[in-house]
Amino acid sequence: MRPFRSVSAALASALLYASVSALPGSAADTGPIKIAVITDMSGVYAALSGPGAIEAVKMAVEDAGGKLLGRSLVVDTVDHRNQGPLAATKAREEYDGGAELALDMTNSATALAVAEVAKEKKKLAIVTGGGSSALTGASCNRYTYHYAYDTYALAHSTGTNIAASGGKTWYGIVPNYAFGAQMLADFTDAVKAKGGDFIHADLMPLGTTDFSSYMIAAKNAHPAVLGLLNAGADTVNSMKAAKQFGLDKVMKIAVGLLFISDVDALPDVFEGSRITTSWYWNEDKAARAWADRYAKRMHGLRPTDIQAADYSATTQWIAAVKAVGTTNADAVQKYLDGRQFNDFYAHGGEWRARDHRVTHDMYVVDVLAKSQVKEPHAWFKIVQTIPPSRAFRPESQSTCKKDW
Amino acid sequence: MRRGTFVAFALLALGVVLPLVVYPVVAIDLACFALFAVSLDLIFGFAGMLSFGQALFWGGAGYVTTIAISRAHVDGAVGILLGVLYALVLAACVGAIAVRRAGIYFAMITLGVAQIQYFSAFQLVDLTGGENGLQLNGRGMLLGLPVENDIEFYYVVLVLVALGVWFALRLTRSPFGGVLRAMRENETRAIALGYRVDRYKLVMFTLAGGLAGFAGALYALGNRLAGLDMVDWHTSGAVVMMTVLGGLGTIVGPIVGAGLFESLDYFVSKTAIGQETNLVMGAIFALCVLLFRRGIVGELLAGRIRHRAE
Amino acid sequence: MLRVVNFAHGAMYMLGAFATYYGAQLVHLPFFVALVVAPLVVGAFGILLETTLLRRLYGLDPIYTLLLTFALVLVIEDLMRILAGPLGSPYSAPDALSGATNLGFTIYPTYRLFVIVVSLVVCALAWWTLERTAVGARIRAATENPVLVRALGIDTRRLVTMTFGAGVALAALAGVLAAPTTNVQPSMGDTVIIYTFAIVVIGGLGSIVGSIVAGFALGLLQTLGGVVYAPISTTLIFIVMVVVIVLRPAGLFGKPENGR
Repeated sequence: MRPFRSVSAALASALLYASVSALPGSAADTGPIKIAVITDMSGVYAALSGPGAIEAVKMAVEDAGGKLLGRSLVVDTVDHRNQGPLAATKAREEYDGGAELALDMTNSATALAVAEVAKEKKKLAIVTGGGSSALTGASCNRYTYHYAYDTYALAHSTGTNIAASGGKTWYGIVPNYAFGAQMLADFTDAVKAKGGDFIHADLMPLGTTDFSSYMIAAKNAHPAVLGLLNAGADTVNSMKAAKQFGLDKVMKIAVGLLFISDVDALPDVFEGSRITTSWYWNEDKAARAWADRYAKRMHGLRPTDIQAADYSATTQWIAAVKAVGTTNADAVQKYLDGRQFNDFYAHGGEWRARDHRVTHDMYVVDVLAKSQVKEPHAWFKIVQTIPPSRAFRPESQSTCKKDW
Repeated sequence: MRRGTFVAFALLALGVVLPLVVYPVVAIDLACFALFAVSLDLIFGFAGMLSFGQALFWGGAGYVTTIAISRAHVDGAVGILLGVLYALVLAACVGAIAVRRAGIYFAMITLGVAQIQYFSAFQLVDLTGGENGLQLNGRGMLLGLPVENDIEFYYVVLVLVALGVWFALRLTRSPFGGVLRAMRENETRAIALGYRVDRYKLVMFTLAGGLAGFAGALYALGNRLAGLDMVDWHTSGAVVMMTVLGGLGTIVGPIVGAGLFESLDYFVSKTAIGQETNLVMGAIFALCVLLFRRGIVGELLAGRIRHRAE
Repeated sequence: MLRVVNFAHGAMYMLGAFATYYGAQLVHLPFFVALVVAPLVVGAFGILLETTLLRRLYGLDPIYTLLLTFALVLVIEDLMRILAGPLGSPYSAPDALSGATNLGFTIYPTYRLFVIVVSLVVCALAWWTLERTAVGARIRAATENPVLVRALGIDTRRLVTMTFGAGVALAALAGVLAAPTTNVQPSMGDTVIIYTFAIVVIGGLGSIVGSIVAGFALGLLQTLGGVVYAPISTTLIFIVMVVVIVLRPAGLFGKPENGR
């Protein structure tokens, strides 16, 4: 009978634990306040966010004196390894363990998963890494803000800029999954609004590595612009193919999503392409000053717009908590909604109340050639600054069913 | 036999105290993976066929359950049932093609079909959310009862998983399981004795698929989402590793393997080498295949038999 | 050929690409030299793996070899990720092969023409070695009846090791050829390996001709499928694989007894 006794003892202690942990925040109000940076620490997104994002958030916490409301403020590193379920589980564990804010969430699957957890736990999440515009559309919720960029802003900024300056005929290379379909729809809208159109769009099957036949077709179609509406390894492979076929000599190449860390890794590949970014470290004095501080801590590396957004979002959240005197998510959310702000990252920033999109200036940039670069990592040349009202999805078109 | 009962109770006791050690949702994951690994043991350990696409049933059922709950707002129990049904039907179809092939060919067919489902899940964006996955707005009701509390839901899962494991045990100890074992040891003899080998294999494959689906449905409900990593071939590979590491053909082994794997993942990921989990797992598994192919539980059992013989 | 399903083949392909990249980075190894050196280096690594690890599993169910190579993939990929980082590393085609060639009916990049030519030559060479030379005859004999071949005084162990090494070297060569056109990164073998398996199974295990024909036919089919209906083209290859296995278990060009 011994096994039985141990089972019942264990059961009793487990139930005890369950009932204790169900009590509303007893010890939690005196312990440290945690910020959970949920990111990709070693995978394909580690360079654009990852360890740099952790460092950026730590900088923000140090700048705030490491304390908030008299309690110590700590940064938790959470590696989601690009898996939605893992991100959700870790976010739950973090929120239950005293985290008041979840940040970053690079890649859409993890961002959408954590957004659901934030809603369920009634704690705040600020997405800087993931780009799906569904976060402020069909999947919007009271406790989630979308901070840096989204697919809508990328497509409309780049698309409008090129179409307005004469690039009327487009040829699309589009990955055949959710991201690609969204990008194509958004780019088409933007280009059409300026009197242009896609003459053709090729849907790339998943895992396509040989783009040669598509490049031949694109070349024979004689468009003014080649739109590589893809991301990551797809962009690298298609860009390499485009250059081998000499497409960059006869047309403009627009890339859907690209970070400065990508250019750091493969400068020759991306030279000459036009993209949109939410921030560039050399855009003005304030940006540069912060980037210098960052570089000192990160062996001379320059931050991506995501890492800068992580710092900025943390600082804004800390200020909000101080203003309302509590970390309570409902109070902070009420304070943030509709609030306008400016910092080294966000110019003309606003926490839009309608759909929780955080809007600010976006920048259309050209990627310079190695020979044109004046100092390390200074890859971009800003072509146009897009004001928030034109960069982001207008409130009138919002698909967010605001239920708060 | 008494020792077996003791082991069963010990495992169950461990299961009961598990949420004290790890976060409840992680405990749910662990329990689900344990059942998943048991399902693979049924097909690989007992019928001798390596399925390298077991994520087909695990992930497929996960998606069906999630879709049913989020779109049709059905009760959790109905959602799980639909998921299991999908896995059973799919397993019967795939099995009808695959069981006549042996060894590597069988592994390749299961892998191939699993890839078809993976790509479909990736591209049927309206149904599955594509690479964004499909999030549930809460678990909803299970048989009319709320199951949002993670610890409560864990104990529900524990009971269901225990039932699943019990079913698997019954299956292997039944005359049906005996025939399969005889077949694995000497297929020609089994055929000569008049057994319709393919039919036995098909039934086992179908039931194992259904069990994997059951585990996957619970996993999706536990995490409140279904995503592409559930149907990825790496998941199929991971469950093979768990099963072999724990000990093929022992039922208990895969549970130990899954527990070891998941807890290693959970605790290693919190340490300095947290990003290198694949390296650690891969190295352990390579050692296992090279040095102790019977797996942890298999070696323990073999040691006991040797001891008794002396 | 060896009835060994090598999951690590994709990893060897990746190592070939990285060997090229590091060769250029560290000792300014020219591309054409890398074309020879990288496969040799990676092939030697393959031989090392075969003699120290894989050999221990011969005589057991081939499933165990598959499992071991699967574990090796995890280890090798992770080590490369620690060494090189998860992102791609830059590598460009040599100047002599950049630019495009006018073929009359279309303009095609010179480098890609070069790849096609090299692939055809290597395939032909592999086929010729296996089917028309004494070594090839021994290899074929050793896989069909190892006991008899050993009785004839031929060292089958060495034969197996060399064949395995050659297979790895070919995978590495593919990696070298791919380096200028794709993103050189640790997980680049992942996507390739599953397709490669499918192609080999369709063509028939142990049939070089089968693999070549199946490879080219499926490449064509995939492109055509992509033109007709894009969503299906990725799954097409697996659908074909399932159909082939049902109808002709040994593959299109395999010998029937390989089916079970």
